Amino acid sequence: MTPGHTANASTPAKIAGRDIWKIFGRTPERVLERLTPEQTSAQILEQTGHMVAVRQVSFDVRAGETFVVMGLSGSGKSTLVRCLCRLTDPTRGAVLIDGQDLLQLAEAELRAVRRHKLAMVFQNFGLFPHRRVIDNVAYGLEVRGVKRAERLERARQMIELVGLRGWDQHFPKQLSGGMQQRVGLARALAVDPEIVLFDEPFSALDPLIRREMQDELLRLQATMHKTSVFITHDFAEALKLGDRVAIMRNGQFVQVGTPEELVLNPANDYVAAFTKDAPRGKVVSAAAIMTPCPPGFDPDGQPAVRADARLEDCLALVAAHDGPVCVRDEAGALAGLVDRLSVMKALIAA
Amino acid sequence: MTTRPLARPWPAPLQRYAPWAVVAGLFALAAVWPADAAQFPAAWNLGLRAPIDEFQSAVIANRETIPVFQYFFDPLSDLIDVGLRWAEDFLLATPWIGVVGTGALLGYLLGGTRLALLGGLSPVITGLFGLWEPTLQTLALMIVAVGLAVLIGLPLGVLAAASDRVDRALRPVLDGMQTMPTFVYLIPVLLVFGIARVPAVVATLIYAVPPMIRLTSLGLREVSPPALEAARAFGSTRWQLLVKVQLPLALPAIMAGVNQTIMMALSMIVIAALIGAGGLGREVLVSLQRLQVGKALEAGLAIVLLAIVLDRLSEGLSRIDLTDLGRALLAPAAPRWLPARWEPAWLAAARVLRRAAAMPAQWLAALTRRPEIERYAGLVNLGLAVLALVLVDLLFNVGTFPESWRWYLRQPTDALVLWLRDNVFEIQLGALTVGTGPLSDFVTLYLLNPLRSLFTTFLPWPVVVLGAAALGGWAGGGRLALLAGAGVFAIGLLGMWPFAMDTLSQILVTMLITCLIALPLGVWSSQNNAVRDFLRPVLDFLQTIPSFVFLVPVIMLFNIGRVPGLIAAVLYAIAPGVKLTDLGIRGVAGEAVEAAHAFGATRAQTLAGVQVPMALASILLGVNQMIMMVLAMVVIAGMVGGAGLGLEAVNGLVRSETGRGLEAGLAIVLLAVTMDRITQAWAARRQG
Ligand SMILES: Nc1ncnc2c1ncn2[C@@H]1O[C@H](COP(=O)(O)OP(=O)(O)OP(=O)(O)O)[C@@H](O)[C@H]1O
Ligand SMILES: [Mg+2]
Repeated sequence: MTPGHTANASTPAKIAGRDIWKIFGRTPERVLERLTPEQTSAQILEQTGHMVAVRQVSFDVRAGETFVVMGLSGSGKSTLVRCLCRLTDPTRGAVLIDGQDLLQLAEAELRAVRRHKLAMVFQNFGLFPHRRVIDNVAYGLEVRGVKRAERLERARQMIELVGLRGWDQHFPKQLSGGMQQRVGLARALAVDPEIVLFDEPFSALDPLIRREMQDELLRLQATMHKTSVFITHDFAEALKLGDRVAIMRNGQFVQVGTPEELVLNPANDYVAAFTKDAPRGKVVSAAAIMTPCPPGFDPDGQPAVRADARLEDCLALVAAHDGPVCVRDEAGALAGLVDRLSVMKALIAA
Repeated sequence: MTTRPLARPWPAPLQRYAPWAVVAGLFALAAVWPADAAQFPAAWNLGLRAPIDEFQSAVIANRETIPVFQYFFDPLSDLIDVGLRWAEDFLLATPWIGVVGTGALLGYLLGGTRLALLGGLSPVITGLFGLWEPTLQTLALMIVAVGLAVLIGLPLGVLAAASDRVDRALRPVLDGMQTMPTFVYLIPVLLVFGIARVPAVVATLIYAVPPMIRLTSLGLREVSPPALEAARAFGSTRWQLLVKVQLPLALPAIMAGVNQTIMMALSMIVIAALIGAGGLGREVLVSLQRLQVGKALEAGLAIVLLAIVLDRLSEGLSRIDLTDLGRALLAPAAPRWLPARWEPAWLAAARVLRRAAAMPAQWLAALTRRPEIERYAGLVNLGLAVLALVLVDLLFNVGTFPESWRWYLRQPTDALVLWLRDNVFEIQLGALTVGTGPLSDFVTLYLLNPLRSLFTTFLPWPVVVLGAAALGGWAGGGRLALLAGAGVFAIGLLGMWPFAMDTLSQILVTMLITCLIALPLGVWSSQNNAVRDFLRPVLDFLQTIPSFVFLVPVIMLFNIGRVPGLIAAVLYAIAPGVKLTDLGIRGVAGEAVEAAHAFGATRAQTLAGVQVPMALASILLGVNQMIMMVLAMVVIAGMVGGAGLGLEAVNGLVRSETGRGLEAGLAIVLLAVTMDRITQAWAARRQG
């Protein structure tokens, strides 16, 4: 999840969406058959009364990667993520988890996947109001049939992990919103899932708590490396948490890429409108703006930054140093140069 | 008042005068119809009676050999009988202080000090009345009937929540079960479960189970979707979903269903006694037959006490968090009457008590190595308390309520009734004789008799049928016209025409008097909080005390005849009229009232011009409720001289002339359904 940790592109996809469609209405299959690529979702809604919530979405999420889907309200994010665990069934398409199509599974097999591989964190927390914190956290293990003592022990560890030590005997309504979502997080982590789906988990929290929770998540992810799909409508959050970010609009992915790719090369005006105010210093790396070394340049004694260093982290150095700064790759070899001017230009998106 | 276009809009003048034209036409028909053919033709009687009676004798004669009885109904009723006996024996074998203590403890756990007093004192009072045994018999019947209702209602409610199909299929059945006068199924139930007190249990069960089903289904359907979704996402099976999430979250609604079921069952106590239930209901009935006002009042009060205690306890159950019982018991805030300087002492004492009370659970938790038991300190203590009571009984042999402790209400009550009879029945005021006797005569001579002759002799049957159809059409359109006409016509086919017309005339007079009392009271109560606060407990009392209890003094004061039943029905039916009128007027939007004030309307003008018209739909619903309650009293009225359909039904029941009872019962249902639909349509029309 930290920008430094990007899963190796050669690992096979942990989750793969293939041409996922979801249409709401009375006869979604029929509408889907008759639909032509030129028709917009608004036209379809007007003509048939059917809502195309997800429209032919394909993507891969690699193991250990955090894949963020960012879009405005009503763009179909929740519907998409709910298709990934079949809380709603896609109208067409395939959801492959470790290469196995979720849509082909029988009820019992699906349940097994949900119990052992997946966990979900919800926007409105989805806690069980009648259960104490500890029993909420232990729920996933309980339905799996784990023995009482064992699951409570595990739940206690998770509660501690999310910083709620001492709250295990309280009921959800006795907790603040931020604390409730920590319970939601602990509940998801308690089952030790391979995949965690987050549907706007922090949107209901106020900005300070939200930041705190984001940092918390980054901290946890730095050690756990869960494969995550994270839904948000907040572009800054997407940049902060995502290894890769998909921008969703009207049920379709407009652009998928690393935060840096999005900021540097927005595919269209829609994406550009979001990236305009992005904190570029946190997103763009030195490697992205470096210029090749002029022939005969002597790097000895010159200050250097790593290729994957963010501009923010280069600022102090370029400010203090009048000449060019070397950019070195992981092996330490000289890759290029940056200087005060190029960094400043990149920061103001000139 | 505007007339809603029925099929297609009529021209305005037609719309306006059509009702009058219909009325005029009906009168014309009445005038030309031959006077000797006013009664419904006897030849058209369907003659249901004979085959039903034959069927009944056949069933009784061959009971042992008919498979349905042999292998289903008889074992089932044996089972219920055993359960009832067991519950009764258990309760009667419990030492009286055990019952009192349990009542007090449950009251304390579920509602605090006041409910503890109520739960502890009520059994003592019934014991003082000498009604210990009947009260416990009734309680046993309640436990079995309500227990069965829960056992049947809960799964049905779960099914109805899970499937729209089941829900759609159940809904009309439940509606029917609740609107149908109980007498209708008393007879078949008697036939099918003819052993001892079982029919009473089954009839109570049928009457009481609908709210259990409805509220369970409602509660389950309203469980918050996020929690459900989360449970699904973690891979719960449907069963796990139901047991771990849906049912616990629906618990308050389910408990409200139990509460409603208990209240419905309680309202059946006396009627169940008619078919052999025993207990308090029988006490009321017997005292009634012997005109022992005081004894009937005592038994009635015992029923009211039982009703209040069970109501409050079950209501408390729907509020309480079972895991929090310990806290409910152990965190008593200092009462308000305590002087401030005593508060620290109180709190210290409470702390000590709390620690002491937590000990048994802690000890048990340590013993069994199950720390979660500590949470259930309240339950553990309850169990210990019960154990202690049993021990006390074994040591001191407490037994049943002491014979020598008696405190009766009957002598003063009887004396009061006698005094009233001597002093109120007839009062000579100069040349005028007033009092309840003359009042009764007046109502009979000038209201009941003329109306009865109107329906039985003056108005020929086709006019009544067409009149009902016209009323139905005016209130609810073509289909209702058909239903109303057919309903009344069918009463004729059952051969119940004269009885039905007699009953109808009584119902109309009762409704007139009820409305004249209830509606002004409702308006007054809506304008004045003091009036409302005064009326509320009175109305609640009127609704819970078994109607039979008013009958006795009323009979003594008004003579046997149609009037006592009428008065009992008025008393019974007033409550919803007052409540719904009050509610409707208070519910009129504040802006409308303010607008009226802004235009300088006086309070009376606002009331008459804005509030009452806007509240009319609610008031009409009150009228509908009143009609249904008056109809529920038809049978009771029939028993005390009201004759009509009620008497027919009772006679069919007690003389076990099933056919006759069934015909009368069906006629009551037809009357009820017709009047219910017409008033409801009328109310709905005002709303729309
Ligand atoms: N069950 C449903 N039936 C019909 N339409 C639905 C249903 N669920 C979602 N939709 C529609 O599908 C579209 C996408 O909804 P979705 O909840 O996926 O949006 P979202 O991107 O998650 O928005 P938000 O940020 O508000 O959560 C919306 O227009 C919504 O109205
Ligand atoms: Mg959403």
